[in-house]
Parts: sequence; C-alpha cells; structure tokens
Amino acid sequence: MRSPVTGWLFLAPTILVLVVFGLVPFIYVAVVGFFDWNPFAANPDLVFAGVNNYRRLVFDNQFLRSIGLTLQFTFWVVLSQLIIGYLLAQLFMRDFPLKGLFRTIHTLPLLVAPIAVGAAWRLLCVPGLGPLPFYLNRWFGIDFRLGSFEHQAFITTVVMDIWHWTPLVTLTLLAGLSAMPKEPFESAQVDGANRWQTFWHIMLPLLKPVLITTTFIRLMDALRTVDEVWMLTGGGPGTATRYIGLHIWRVVFPQTDYGYGAAMSLMTLYLTIMLCWFLYVGLVARKPRAS
Amino acid sequence: MDHPVVHEVSARDGFLPIKTNAFDRGFIGVVFGIFLHLLWMRFLEQAIPLWVCTILTVLIGIYIVKRG
Repeated sequence: MRSPVTGWLFLAPTILVLVVFGLVPFIYVAVVGFFDWNPFAANPDLVFAGVNNYRRLVFDNQFLRSIGLTLQFTFWVVLSQLIIGYLLAQLFMRDFPLKGLFRTIHTLPLLVAPIAVGAAWRLLCVPGLGPLPFYLNRWFGIDFRLGSFEHQAFITTVVMDIWHWTPLVTLTLLAGLSAMPKEPFESAQVDGANRWQTFWHIMLPLLKPVLITTTFIRLMDALRTVDEVWMLTGGGPGTATRYIGLHIWRVVFPQTDYGYGAAMSLMTLYLTIMLCWFLYVGLVARKPRAS
Repeated sequence: MDHPVVHEVSARDGFLPIKTNAFDRGFIGVVFGIFLHLLWMRFLEQAIPLWVCTILTVLIGIYIVKRG
C-alpha cells in the first residue's frame, strides 16, 4: 500500500537535517547581514542598520579585490583540474603495469585534510629548508620566496589546490568514461572520423553531463577555499592571496564585525549562485536557436 | 489504490534564454533585483534614492515572472 504519509516519513530525517543545519543558519546569516553586531564591543546588541552593510561592501576596495583574486584563482584551478583530470582519466582507461597501485597513490591527496595539505606545502616552500625553493633555484635559477613575491604566492596556492583536488576530477571523469557506450566510437571509426572529430563530436557530448557536474562541484569548492591557503600563505604577502573566504574570516573573527561579515558571506553565496546559473544557462539549459 | 496526484510545474518559453517555471522566474527576478540594488548603491544612489531602484526592481520582477 502506498501512501504520501509513508513518503514524508522517509523524507523527514533529511528534511529535518537540511532545515536545522542549512536553512536556519542561512536565514540567521541573512538577518544578521542587516544589523551592526559586535558582541565584544561596549554595546553587544544587534543594532538595525538596513542596507548599510551592503552599501559599505560595494565601496570596500579590499573586498572587491578579494573577489577579483578569488575569481582568478577559481578560473585557473577549475580549468587546470579539468584538463589534467581528463588526461589522467584517459590514462587510467588504458592498461599498464601496476595500474591499480598508481590509481590508489593518485587518489591519496583526497584523503588529506586541507589544513594538513596547507601545512605540508608550507614546509615544502620554506626557504633554506623546503625542497621547492632549493630545486627551483638549482635547476631554473628561480629565487623562490613565498613571503616576498606576490605572483609566486598566487601560483603556489593554485598549484597546491590542483594537486589536492585533481584526483576528484579524475575519478568522476573516469566513471563517466567507463560508462560510455562503445557503439558510437566504433561507428565513427567505420565512417573514417579522425581522433579530433571523435573527441569533439562524440566523446565531449557524451561526457558533458559529468564534466558539468564536476565543474559545478569544483567551482563551488574553489570559491570558498580558506584553510589550505590560510596555512600556506595566511593571505599574503600583503593581500596577494587573500581570497574571499580568508577576507571574511579576518573581518569576522579578529575584528569581530559580525554584521558586515554576514553581508560579505551572503555576497559570496550570491556570486556563487550567479556563476553557476550562467554556466547552467550557457552549457545545459540554453534553448535551441530558431532557424 | 490510486497513485497520488502529482502536480507538475509547467515550464514555458519566454524572453529568457531557458525554459522556466514560475519559481525559476521568481528566483531570476530576485537575483536580478539584488544585482540592480548593488549597482545602484555603487553608482547612482548619490543622485537617485534607493527606493526608486526597489520600485524598478519590483516592476521588472513582475515583468520577468509574467513574460520571462
């Protein structure tokens, strides 16, 4: 016997968890964003500020710079991970000796907590101690000092994130490649299609749903990167790697400006939704052109 | 026993680049309204008060929901 009550009963735990840990905190942050609130100040009460936090936000050059840096970081990280992840997935589709071992080793970075990844990379980059500055100087003559050069710090955070999260992209694309039917590729071979044509007209369209899902997951993750960058550079040198998550952290905790921090958090969520929506419209849901 | 009736939300074509249902269009209206308010506060508020933007947003929102 099927009854809507049974369905709702099965759904109830999930809905409860979503409401308690998702919806309620979101509404709380949305409300706090309209108040001035510093719980450690002389007046610890919430004082209604209307849209003043948002007014302050659109003129906050440090915040706008953080958004720009985060977008650059996200672009390079997601693009590189998709390309490298795809190439690795193709590699793991072929047979070679010790393939299982390599696949396991390649997945290991995913098991490491981001804070530990940041700490490990920091040790790798310490001048006079870490192997990275030593070999970069020895082989390429590069003076690698993370605390001094802004572009080096930015690139290192990008490389670290690629190292950490590419295995996730590889695994999802590998699953997509494994589930592909063979018939279209065999037909293309019979029809005389070259490798590029097969890739562009068959492989890519078949892989598109997996690619888009992976892009969304990595995009949302990259936009809220905090811990590993915090451990590696602390947002420096200067503000060169102060991505939006780090910037919010600095405003909310050391400065205890909770209202403004909530407004910035909502803006970050808004930015994420906008980016995902544009990607969704551009790649998935676009209406076919009228001929 | 009869299956429970499922009310499907109908998607339709409008001027937006995707097929949308009423909830989608409402959501897009809100997202666009926030964008307009932020731009207004940054560039226009010193000349034109923010409530003008709010009225404009409501009007555009209604248009999106009806025709989007």
